[in-house]
Amino acid sequence: MTNPLGTRLDATFKGVELRSGVDGRLAVVVPREAIVPVLTFLKEDGYDYLQLISCVDWIDRGEFELVYLLSFYTEEVVGGDGGKQEVLLKATVPREQASAPTATSVFAIAEPHEREIHELYGIHFEGHPRLTPLFLDRNYEIPPFRKDFDTKQYVADVFDRVPPIDEEG
Amino acid sequence: MDRNQLMKWIKAPTKMAHKYSLNAVYFCTGCGVIEVPPTITSRWDAERFGVVPTATARQANLFLITGYVSVKTLRAIIRTYEQMPEPKYTVGFGSCTINGGMYWDSYNTINQLDKYIPIDGYIAGCMPRPEAIFVAVTHLWTLIDKDMADGYKRYRKNYAAYRANQEMILGEMEWPPIFQTEVATAITEREG
Repeated sequence: MTNPLGTRLDATFKGVELRSGVDGRLAVVVPREAIVPVLTFLKEDGYDYLQLISCVDWIDRGEFELVYLLSFYTEEVVGGDGGKQEVLLKATVPREQASAPTATSVFAIAEPHEREIHELYGIHFEGHPRLTPLFLDRNYEIPPFRKDFDTKQYVADVFDRVPPIDEEG
Repeated sequence: MDRNQLMKWIKAPTKMAHKYSLNAVYFCTGCGVIEVPPTITSRWDAERFGVVPTATARQANLFLITGYVSVKTLRAIIRTYEQMPEPKYTVGFGSCTINGGMYWDSYNTINQLDKYIPIDGYIAGCMPRPEAIFVAVTHLWTLIDKDMADGYKRYRKNYAAYRANQEMILGEMEWPPIFQTEVATAITEREG
């Protein structure tokens, strides 16, 4: 392992899998329980900027993948092994009864990101202070960003069901 | 003043006054609103056509709906439209208001705006250029001249149907119907 951060992560945590970085980023795959400890470790290491939390629905594998993109405010990003890289932290959670620990205790900015993922994918974040809808105004049986949400069927059932106005009547 | 229009001014002065003072409510929906700032400022200068943006719906008579309408925005659009004094004219700007455009299969974007509020005209395109707004405005003048820009009258007449459609999507609405059916009928009979 040429990356010094990768070496230290490997030594500190169990079950951490390192992947060669895409776009000069270091991809770190951790088990679900290690999300908060690894985020804390990285924050203490200078990664003070949580750029985004993203979610991927791998419906064939029956799991969601949470992706945390970490960067820094103060230092310049240098790509490639050995330099200061951005870190992609990935963790998978099962689709059934999906839940993950909240990152709000480490990064306060995680709050809106997790709310958004909660309403669009239906993942419950344990310990999140305010897990209420962020954007959506309607209730959906299946959260709309899940792969098994049929948008065409939904539009046919909801929006196309509204009749046009009969101006003559 | 254009001498050719003198007879129109004598015959129907209010109609002419409405035509040349279109106050557009500055209400932004979707991406089409990116075309509005250059339209109302010096580059295209909508004031040449008597179109000026107005801060509140209560002083406006033109409603440009500039792009896709999400369910949440639909609620605000209906509230704004109902606050505007009559006569009021609505123009759907961009293909999203016509049939949903590129959001035709979205989980949260309504497809046809004219199921919920009356529309006097549409500007097709994605995005229409600012020039298209002026084509729409001049066309709206023609419609006002011929008494064909009658969206607000249709809204009164078919208010029950519009309100039913709105409630189908928005569920329980937090304000009561603005027209009782009998009131709407009486106004329609009196004013045509």
